[in-house]
Parts: sequence; structure tokens; C-alpha cells
Amino acid sequence: MAEKFDNLEEHLEKFIENIRQLGIIVSDFQPSSQAGLNQKLNFMISGLQDIEKCRQQLHEINVPLEVFEYIDQGRNPQLYTKECLERALARNEQVKGKIDTMTKFKSLLISELSKVFPEEMAKYKAIHGEDAPS
Amino acid sequence: MTEMFSTLFGQNETQVPPGSSSLGFGPGKPPPPLPQNQVAMPGQMPPQLGDEGPALRKPGAMNEPFYLLRELPVGNELTGNTNLITHYNLEHAYNKFCGKKVKEKLSNFLPELPGMIDCPGTQDGSSLRSLIDKPPVCGNSFSPLTGALLTGFRLHTGPLPEQYRLMHIQPPKKKSKHKHKHHRPQDPLPQETPSDSDPKKKKKKRDDDPDRKKKKKDKKKKKNRHSPDHPGLAGSQPNSNSLR
Repeated sequence: MAEKFDNLEEHLEKFIENIRQLGIIVSDFQPSSQAGLNQKLNFMISGLQDIEKCRQQLHEINVPLEVFEYIDQGRNPQLYTKECLERALARNEQVKGKIDTMTKFKSLLISELSKVFPEEMAKYKAIHGEDAPS
Repeated sequence: MTEMFSTLFGQNETQVPPGSSSLGFGPGKPPPPLPQNQVAMPGQMPPQLGDEGPALRKPGAMNEPFYLLRELPVGNELTGNTNLITHYNLEHAYNKFCGKKVKEKLSNFLPELPGMIDCPGTQDGSSLRSLIDKPPVCGNSFSPLTGALLTGFRLHTGPLPEQYRLMHIQPPKKKSKHKHKHHRPQDPLPQETPSDSDPKKKKKKRDDDPDRKKKKKDKKKKKNRHSPDHPGLAGSQPNSNSLR
């Protein structure tokens, strides 16, 4: 899995470097640079071919759209991962709190009902004793 | 309907009240057919699906004082009660992203990428969102350029016009502690940008330094004049410093 990403990353870096050098040649063009320019243009096409080949290995990869918004704003996409983990943990804690509160409430309710309706609660416990809740 | 009431209130109640025949509860009358959308009797109810709620008790339990006592739902092993991050082995990822400070800029994530990548993509039309909204033409094969096609790339000599030079501006590179020996052909000199504050700071320091030196010299001269060790003014001006 990581190899597919490394392969793509390598091809992309080479492609970008090639484009950068192409830009340098063009920024102050000289007649002697024509051969180099032609070579860079063909490198660019071969780079696109290599990236196209990597595409087949990565067709199952899904990227959340929210990450695109971070990148478009010039922000680090790792911040998205960080915020997802923080939100997951916060939500986990929130749900755990609800579960704990409901468990306490249930035990308190059963104890109070047992004081007021001892016979009925005994029958209730006998019924629910077969499939006792955790 | 008579069967439902008899099971609820026990088998002993066989006597029918006198006014009940007008309501259709008389003995011998078959129960009216229930409409299809109405809920069926508990004893006759087929096993329900999970999303419709747990099944009701069997008819034998209906004699209990509890009415419509439902079975408790089957508890899931995985609930919010467990730490899901440890359950899915994400502790390392959590410590990596949330334990340390993650830098804000995109250039910190992609340090080797040239150009001004911290700017919003909407400014220069390089946003990823535009790729989704207007996807490029795909499916065509890439073929290398032949000699005839390369004639279209014969350029004029000389530097680019100023309006096109912005593409080569590099952000000011920060001096990192770990120096990477990365050989690259030299980039063209970037134009001055508002973010390029280092030379301005250096200029300010240069301007301040001669002024500071002059001031320091003046102070030293004044101190030396009024010091007791100075031969010229030791007796003529007593304690002039205390007046200041």
C-alpha cells in the first residue's frame, strides 16, 4: 500500500522538478537552450505517462472532499486528520458520558422502585433475570 | 376482540356485561377482522425486525402485571463506552497528530514543492475544487512530440515579459537546522515581495548602527569629562552629574 504512494510521489516529484526547470529555461530563453527545451517537453510527456500508469493501482483510494478545502486554502492537510481524531475522541467521550449517566440512572431507578414496589420489582427482576442486562 | 380482553383480564371473567352486546362484544360473535395497518395482537405478532423494536413477550408472560413488556435489546460489544481509538489501534496516529504541534501551512507539509503554495488556490486558478467542478478531458493517450510538433515550441530569445514573471517567485527559504544537500539549478532572482522583510530589517540595522555609535561616543565623552579621573575638569565643576 505504501509502495504505491511512494511510487506516485516519486513520479510527481520528478514531474514537478522537470516543470520547474522548464520554467527556468523559458524565463530567459537562448537559442542554445532549444534542444534542452525539447528534451524537457518530452520528459514532461513521459512523466504524464508514468503518472497515468500509477492511476490504475490507486483507483480504490478515496479522499475526503474536506481535505481538498484545506489544500485550496493553503493549509496543512494533516490538520484535517488531527481535527478528525479530536472530534472522534470528543464524541467518544460524550457518548461514554451518556452511557454512564443512563447506567447510573437505571440502577438508581431500580433501587428506588424496589423500595416503593418491592413485589412488582421482584417479578420484574425474575423476568429480566433470564436475559439480564449488562 | 373478545380473545384480547380475556387474555388481558384473566380466563375467569367469562361473564359478559349486559351492555356489551351493542359494542360487539357478545359471545359467539367472531372477532371483527383487523385492518392491515393496525398493530396485531401480542400473542399473534410475528417476530419483528430490529429497527421496529424488540419483540414483545410470549403469551405466557402476559399474565404478569406488566403490560407490553418488551425484551431488552441485544447489547453490542462495541459502544461509546470503549475507547475507540485504542480499539482501532490509532494511538500512534493520535499521538503523532494531536500530541505534537502540526504546522499550519501547506509548505510545511510539502517543503520540496516549488512556488508559492501557501496562497489560496482560487487566486491563480489552481484549486482542487475546480478539478471537481470542471473535470479535465481524460482518456486520451500521451504520445511524445515529433520534430514537426516541436517546431511550435521555438521561442524568442530574451527574458519573459514582467506580467509572466510572477510564476517564478519563490518564498523566502527559512534556514533549517538540518541542512539538506539538494543540488538544484539556480533559480532566477525573485522580485521583492511584501513578505520579504529580511533585507529591510538588515537595512534598518545598518541605518541604526552609525547613529548608535555616535550616540555611544557622545555619552562616553560626556562621562569622561565629568569623571573624577579626568584631569581637565576635576576641580572646576564639582558634582555636575548630581544636577542632571
